[in-house]
Amino acid sequence: MNKLIVLIFFLISFSEHESTSDQFITRQGQVSFFSYTSVENIEAKNNQVLSIIDLSKNEIAVSMLMNAFVFKKSLMHEHFNESYIESDLYPKATFEGQIIDFDPLAEKQTKIIKGNLTIHGMAKEVEIKTNIENNNGSYLFTGDFEATVKDFDIKIPPILAPNIAKIISITFRFEYQPYEK
Amino acid sequence: MNNNKSKIRSILLVTLALIVGVSIYFRFMNPVYNNMDRVSADVEVSSKELVSSYILNEKSANSIYRGKIVEVDGIVKEVTFLNNRNTILLYGSSKYSSVICDMQSNQIEEVKKLKKGQKIRIKGVCKGFLKDAILLHCILTNTQIDE
Repeated sequence: MNKLIVLIFFLISFSEHESTSDQFITRQGQVSFFSYTSVENIEAKNNQVLSIIDLSKNEIAVSMLMNAFVFKKSLMHEHFNESYIESDLYPKATFEGQIIDFDPLAEKQTKIIKGNLTIHGMAKEVEIKTNIENNNGSYLFTGDFEATVKDFDIKIPPILAPNIAKIISITFRFEYQPYEK
Repeated sequence: MNNNKSKIRSILLVTLALIVGVSIYFRFMNPVYNNMDRVSADVEVSSKELVSSYILNEKSANSIYRGKIVEVDGIVKEVTFLNNRNTILLYGSSKYSSVICDMQSNQIEEVKKLKKGQKIRIKGVCKGFLKDAILLHCILTNTQIDE
């Protein structure tokens, strides 16, 4: 009987360990976006992006607060949150996707991550080419992609249209650590 | 007489325009977080209480803390310099959630001296909650913490 209890305890501990060791987390991922026009260049950074990867399913989830993007000029921050992104109504942007043909053991690889990007309450399927590095069991995901403002139902007033690019460049850097539950 | 009236009107208009102009300048060009050491906090709370309010009800916690200057006291869980940021994580009410405090660049020397387990007080702008509560533009405050 005692042996059985020990065995059950061992199996539970082992299964818990296994399920968490497949997950990696970053709470301080970095996402930047750039809007280049002849009138002005706008850049903003968010350094508190949350992301979890699950190696058992090759899945990735990302979530960020839109009002945590920092701009050089606070007027831009104001316009971005109040007029374009409406961060009171849509406080978070999210991404959920699948890392295609991911090899968790490879030291360096470039893979496509396919999934749904939701900004301003609008979801859009995207494919993002991502550089993945495995540094002794922690992972670094970096890359860049472009997003079209129109796809996310973001309305730019005509007077400001020349100041905002129609296509925004987005870069990201996520340094994951094992997720200890 | 009429000439005087129009002069007064012009002076009033110019004064009004100046006041509006200066207010806009200070509102946008000199945001409140540039003077974080001189502005008083809207809310004071412990890091554990801040996290537990968010876990309990994110919407109601947002109505209290989001966009506000929050002074939070808590115990240092971790200090990181990832992506050239100076970040302090304070213990929250659960093992899985903390308060992420993104420090202003002028705080670096003080941040470097911090040790895990140290009790500190931080003032910053609360942005909301993901898995942790997020505070930006933070400074360390010297306010005495009652043990």
